[in-house]
Amino acid sequence: MSYAHPDYLVETEWVAQHLSDPEIRIVESDEDPLLYAIGHIPGAAQVDWFTTLQHPLRRDFVTRDQFEEVASKLGITNDTTVVFYGDKSNWFACYALWLFQYYGHQKVKIMNGGRTKWEQEKRELVKDVPAFKPTTYKAKEADKSIRAFRDDVFKSLEAKKPLVDVRSPKEYSGELTHMPNYPQEGATRGGHIPGAVSIPWAQAVNEADSTFKTAEELKALYEGKNIKSDGEIIAYCRIGERSSLTWFVLKYLLGYPTVKNYDGSWTEWGNLVDAPIEK
Amino acid sequence: MTVHGPNGATWWMRRSKNNVIAGAQQCCALPGMTMTLPAKLQEIVDDIASMSREEKLETLIAFAETMPDLPERFQEERSKMESVPECMTPVFIIAEKDANGGIVFHLDIPKQSPTVRGLASILTNGLNGCTLEQILSVPADFYLPMNLQEAVSQQRINGFIGVLAHMKQAAVKVSQ
Repeated sequence: MSYAHPDYLVETEWVAQHLSDPEIRIVESDEDPLLYAIGHIPGAAQVDWFTTLQHPLRRDFVTRDQFEEVASKLGITNDTTVVFYGDKSNWFACYALWLFQYYGHQKVKIMNGGRTKWEQEKRELVKDVPAFKPTTYKAKEADKSIRAFRDDVFKSLEAKKPLVDVRSPKEYSGELTHMPNYPQEGATRGGHIPGAVSIPWAQAVNEADSTFKTAEELKALYEGKNIKSDGEIIAYCRIGERSSLTWFVLKYLLGYPTVKNYDGSWTEWGNLVDAPIEK
Repeated sequence: MTVHGPNGATWWMRRSKNNVIAGAQQCCALPGMTMTLPAKLQEIVDDIASMSREEKLETLIAFAETMPDLPERFQEERSKMESVPECMTPVFIIAEKDANGGIVFHLDIPKQSPTVRGLASILTNGLNGCTLEQILSVPADFYLPMNLQEAVSQQRINGFIGVLAHMKQAAVKVSQ
């Protein structure tokens, strides 16, 4: 069994051989934004989930116009293949890929294993920041079929459609409202959305090199918890970054047709007045 | 300006473009705030407050890269610490008294987390050698004048305040 859409995943060796391919833009997207400055893949651009991709005022992503500006500055055209990689098993690489897809950019890939694997293989990292010639980029209307808002979650809840909670077991149980070492981050209530199944994101990746598990392993993992391809699935975590990884796995590695990422996630649901919670 | 490292080591940091003299800028940028921070911490806060966003990021990298490794004598205690696989960044903090009775912190933070290292290093550089009272008197919002929010996410800053809270606990423990 192979991945459903293997085109969306490339290996480090493939990236190493496409460093100066003009059709390709390699983009680093990290949980820790300073990592890029310390060293990145030669020729790679950087997006920061917070300063590049978030709206400066509202809790939302950049607007369509702002996204066009972001892509233009990175020298990305509508035909460029964008390859994302990052730290923490590609959490924010998947998050950036998801946002690019949200604005209609179809040619996207994840570098399997991300920074971890690239570093483990002792491949080159440089500090030079490349300059790109701005492009004329046209974004599409936001694709809401891959993004869940709170009202979508309420509807799923009523219709008993599958919800996947990808946070750590203690966040799911309500013992913690935030990740360890990140106090005050988050929510006034602990627990999970009623009926959500707990499948921590980390179960989809190999701990040793941050690569994705095999198609068989992933199928067994999600189907074993009754998350199947015919379901209309919503994945969530705390702010939507870990669940972007799960979204990527379900959508492209397993090929589930209907998967949404709920980026409001627990920092919205756990603070929302009148929202039901299970513990 | 020069920032004094924990072992008397110094390094040079870029002066801000508007050339504000370190220490000359009052730290009462927000109405109603009065602060009596330890002198070294105050100096760092003032200096960072006067920097552009890019300079702040460069400074955080400089702080991260110059954070000393955990001394050998603490390695055993470090290994006894539970690792938290879901955690973004495991932070290990230990405090000890120096010859003058001041408190010195030793931190161990992975090199793969330069932002957390950089922020935590502001605290160790600003607080090492201080008394317990001085350390406990640092308000949780002392960081506001630095306007770090323009460079790093609020989640990061919350983590930073968490590190300060843990440092205070470690300081109390070593003073008992």
